[in-house]
Amino acid sequence: MKKILLGVIAALSLAFPASAQVKVGIIVSATGPVASVGIPQQRTAGTLPDKLGGQPVQYILLDDASDTSTAVKHARRLIQEDHVDVIIGPSLTPNALALIDVVSEQKVPLIALAASSLIVEPLDDRRHWVFKTPQNDSQMATLIVDHMKQRKIKSVAFIGFSDAYGDGWIRVMTKLVENAGIKILASERYQRTDSSVTGQILKIVSQNPEAVFIAAAGTPAALPQTSLKERGFGGAIYQTHGVANNDFLRVGGAALEGTFVPAGPVLVAEQLPDSHPAKKPGMDFIQRYEAIPGAGTRSTFGAYLWDAQLILNAAIPTAVSQAKPGTPEFRAALRDAIEKVRDVSGPNGIYTMSPTNHLGLDDRASVMTQVVDGKWRLVP
Amino acid sequence: MIRQILARLPLIALALVVLASLVLTNYRLTLVTYVMIYAIVCIALVLMTGVVGMVSFGQAAFVGIGAYATAYLTAELGLSPWLGLLVALTACGVAAYLIGQMTVRMSGHYLALVTLCFCISVYFLIGNTEVLGKFNGMTGIPPLSIAGYEMRSERSIFYVVLSGLALTSWWVRRILKGRVGRGLRSLRTGGLIAETFGVDANALRMMAFVSAAMLAGFSGWLYAHFQRFVNPTPFGVQMSIEYLFMVVIGGVGHIWGAILGAGLVTVIKQELQDVLRPFLGETTRLDMLVFSTLMVFMLIVARQGIWPLVVRAFAKWMPRPKPVMAIEIGNRRVMPPPQTVVLEAVAMRKTFGGLVAVDDVSFSISAGEVLGLLGPNGAGKSTLFNLITGVLPLSSGGIRLFAKELSVVDVREMCRRGVARTFQHVKLVPDMTLIENVAIGAASLGQKGLLGATFGLDRAEEQRILGWSMHLLQRVGLASRAWDLAGSLPLGHQRVLEIARALAADPFLLLLDEPAAGLRANEKTELAALLRSLRNSGLAILLVEHDMEFVASIADRLMVMNFGRRIAMGHPDSVRADPMVQDAYLGAAA
Amino acid sequence: MSFAIAVLLLQDGITNGAIYVLLAVALVLVFTVTRIVFIPQGDLVAFTGLTLTAFETGTVPGTVWILAAAAAIALAMDLMPLILRGRLDLAVRPLIEMGLIPGIIIALSLFAVPREASLLWKMAATLAVITALAPLMHRIVFQPLVSASPLILLIAAVAVHFGLTSLGLHFFGPEGVRTPGFTGPSISIFGFQFTQQSLGVIACSVLLSAGLYAFFSRALTGKALLAAAFNRRGAELIGVSAVGAGRRVALIAGLVGAISGLLIGPTTTLYYDSGFILGLKGLVGGIIGGLAGYPFAVAGALLVGVVEAFASFWASAYRDVIVFTLIIPVLFWRSMVAPHHEEETE
Repeated sequence: MKKILLGVIAALSLAFPASAQVKVGIIVSATGPVASVGIPQQRTAGTLPDKLGGQPVQYILLDDASDTSTAVKHARRLIQEDHVDVIIGPSLTPNALALIDVVSEQKVPLIALAASSLIVEPLDDRRHWVFKTPQNDSQMATLIVDHMKQRKIKSVAFIGFSDAYGDGWIRVMTKLVENAGIKILASERYQRTDSSVTGQILKIVSQNPEAVFIAAAGTPAALPQTSLKERGFGGAIYQTHGVANNDFLRVGGAALEGTFVPAGPVLVAEQLPDSHPAKKPGMDFIQRYEAIPGAGTRSTFGAYLWDAQLILNAAIPTAVSQAKPGTPEFRAALRDAIEKVRDVSGPNGIYTMSPTNHLGLDDRASVMTQVVDGKWRLVP
Repeated sequence: MIRQILARLPLIALALVVLASLVLTNYRLTLVTYVMIYAIVCIALVLMTGVVGMVSFGQAAFVGIGAYATAYLTAELGLSPWLGLLVALTACGVAAYLIGQMTVRMSGHYLALVTLCFCISVYFLIGNTEVLGKFNGMTGIPPLSIAGYEMRSERSIFYVVLSGLALTSWWVRRILKGRVGRGLRSLRTGGLIAETFGVDANALRMMAFVSAAMLAGFSGWLYAHFQRFVNPTPFGVQMSIEYLFMVVIGGVGHIWGAILGAGLVTVIKQELQDVLRPFLGETTRLDMLVFSTLMVFMLIVARQGIWPLVVRAFAKWMPRPKPVMAIEIGNRRVMPPPQTVVLEAVAMRKTFGGLVAVDDVSFSISAGEVLGLLGPNGAGKSTLFNLITGVLPLSSGGIRLFAKELSVVDVREMCRRGVARTFQHVKLVPDMTLIENVAIGAASLGQKGLLGATFGLDRAEEQRILGWSMHLLQRVGLASRAWDLAGSLPLGHQRVLEIARALAADPFLLLLDEPAAGLRANEKTELAALLRSLRNSGLAILLVEHDMEFVASIADRLMVMNFGRRIAMGHPDSVRADPMVQDAYLGAAA
Repeated sequence: MSFAIAVLLLQDGITNGAIYVLLAVALVLVFTVTRIVFIPQGDLVAFTGLTLTAFETGTVPGTVWILAAAAAIALAMDLMPLILRGRLDLAVRPLIEMGLIPGIIIALSLFAVPREASLLWKMAATLAVITALAPLMHRIVFQPLVSASPLILLIAAVAVHFGLTSLGLHFFGPEGVRTPGFTGPSISIFGFQFTQQSLGVIACSVLLSAGLYAFFSRALTGKALLAAAFNRRGAELIGVSAVGAGRRVALIAGLVGAISGLLIGPTTTLYYDSGFILGLKGLVGGIIGGLAGYPFAVAGALLVGVVEAFASFWASAYRDVIVFTLIIPVLFWRSMVAPHHEEETE
């Protein structure tokens, strides 16, 4: 029944092109080195609603293969050939940074799915058209550092990916940790596909830190941790929300017990109090995502795309009342409307944008979780 | 008509692209701009890999050095992009020169791997450098501007890049045509040909390496100001491999192939997702599989790349080369009067470990004389020949050319002093024309280098060298095939062509290593006639041969070796009657 | 750095180096016979781990489908000319080699490997699948390119690697796997603590390189294979076909790859794209050996492993810069002193 209804809507929207479709371009990194970030987003793209803010929507999904130039080519194509009204993505910080100039010149709003705060800060003219949904890495990092302070940790060591992800995190963490008066004893890097991190771990263990922070995404994040356990490290271990999937738990096994992971509320949506505004959209997203064949369990990465869709859903009605989709006026109106969205609850938090804040998340957007008995557990 | 078009292909193609740019959408313009930026790197690879035969997996690193140099200068220091260009080129040139100190001496997979290592190192070096934005990259690179006009629009940067590509192809075409170009093109068969005719093969390799790096840097500069954002990803090994893909698919030795390959690979990669979506679904991740299947398929179908196929299809209409007038160069060496001793070998000795390969051999050759060197297999002839040509060092003894020690100078200097040679196993550049092959021999008669070729200052010199080469082709009877490829000649003619090339160096002394091997009877007669006429013009000729009849028919004197020693020397008739010689030959035959 | 740490690093370097040795040896093997730098060797290793894990979780590994598709393509390539020439009598051999044998392996993997089967049985199935892949790859891609220049062969090998990576991502996803292996207490040798797994890796790489060295310098078949590499026409005159030699050597490489995969699977996490970096480091070892000498290849691969371990300790952010920059002079030195077995690029 629902299908028929959708079919009718689709047929109607074809019959009346005047009720113009909103075109949404999506760029994710579904292949290449960061495929583990992009693939959940690519999957989520398949579950996006046919209508946003009451308007029929056409999605155009492209894969940038984790490559900057390709992301730029795709963005230009989406803007100039497909005449999209808004772009969601890309999944990677460098790729998102590369698009800033493109979208600000072409005047198309962009909702990035990458973490670095550099994408929306400083909020200058160039970033006028740029928004993002993932929590700033500093936001997550603050959670970790607060947690460390709570536990009176005095010294810490870092190990992270030798790429934009690891680097961005460690940069932010270094600043926060130093401000908190915690000593950094080592700051190491490794490669995603490394078969051993013994050298780095030996160095870390020889410095005897009270805690280790691992800045890595997906299953590769398990390797430093298993190595730490092998070397008998007994202190606290912190990971980033990049590890939040079940494959990580499977590969890491028992070595991961007790790990602290800051994450978007969606990771532990079931355990949130009913009053938490992210609970309902989170559960909703999880249900849809886990219904995708082969998708496995929830992914905070996929949820960023879902958040972006929710924001558009809130912004499009305002924009449509001012101009017709497909026109420069509509894109400008849409940008202004996105900047004005208030209290949009998504799986990753509650978005309230403003001219000075193009992320709009508050501290409800991050929760501390812990691996207990091979499952994610909300740390109260 | 078609021939007319083909003759002006570069200009017509340029005009077409400019015309097309007027109707293309902005996105298409951008895509073509990317293609052209890649094509510049590919042309650099054609120069280095296709022409010289140095496979590089590090080209993307030089693109990166160029891009980051200008990014740092303009985005961080706020300097002009034009200064950025200067610094980008210099940085690439210097980096290439330093790494080239090693790479130009290496070959094959060693070289490929070193460039790969270099690429990986540069990638992580940039990714860990704070001022270069680490792995996140650098934003805020200004667009190019000329006289205050900022080239922000797709169209304006398109024209800049198009000019860059046109300039690059023009320049590479130009330098490949002349004296330096012939030397470069000979390197793919090894450095020996170039060295034999007085050209420093390593210097040429360095030239190709540095030029290719600077072109890559130029491309990087364009990339940085076009995209206005740089991060390490587009400069990693992956991209280096992609550049190689482009040139191999297009045709590794051809400038047009590079452009074609860059276009094909870029467009296929970009459009594949759209093409595949109806078949593989919205969330496919298999486009790379389809891409690589296509690549393998193209390699199987067109091993040499696509451009050579195109050329073959249009071969009938290819423009004819401009005719070259045969001339004899003016400032030829003055041959010494007959009987003057040209080469004198004194007690030459060569040992390999305990084995004495050449044992106290002395002899001399005079102007206007043919000395035949004979001996059974393993007699030490080849070793002796290699000693004289400087390929092997002497253990003791001496070789003098006009009473000046020759064994202390390198192969190139020997050429300059007037010694030229041929090879036992023919060494020609098969994909160069006959006249160009001969002109390689005349390399030491010219002086113009890279700059001369760039600014067209080598026209007179080229005319002289090519005319002289034509003259020699006439002399050896191959002028009618001057514009055929050397590889298409039968073996007999190839040997004659080698002699013409040796003569092009205008030598006093000609060293011929088994020139009659594999020749038919009538070819031997022609060769004998040629050698006689050369002798009569005053040349001294050393002829190492197997074929007793052939040598005896033209040599003035014969020297016979066995077990590394000279066993006979003198007039052919008396030597042939020598019992020791007969014994050696019969003994060897038995 | 204390002595204890140095010892641990050395040990880690040797263990990792032993993995690269396995790769290097296979690369040298394929190169000496076919002039192909067999980049996909690393992918075979990675796919072994991924295949075994799929068997472990009770799903049909994607490699089985790859094998099926490859066998079908190879069979079609072999049969098509025979059908056109009407020489169906010659079709028996391809039908067995590319139809029957892969067919049996596929059937076994589909129906005879239940979830609760013993680990050994699953390992055997994995071994069969991966080993069978390599000669088919040779048939489809490299046989049509049999006399092409080394550059073309290299590019084709890289293309195959990209294709396999793409298939790997499609079938196995982006996340890594760690396979079960033999467990047991660590063994102490001269104060070095080695796990049984890493001892297995080291022992195997030693045995394998020694075995191949002996095979090519002593056994007649080995010499015949080498002859095919040096002089194709000549070898054919004495009854060794380059195509046959290539296929046989691909089979050996496949087997070596599968064994390596089974060995290293439990010591590290393998990803769909682990193959490239493994292959690259093996290649560095192989080229230090001039792609010809096994002893040097082994030394080179070990060197890479050890330098890597120490660089990880000293300056992990710059590790690859250090490793690959240090390799350059070594390569330069080897290039100067090693006899050139490679012909000029043409």
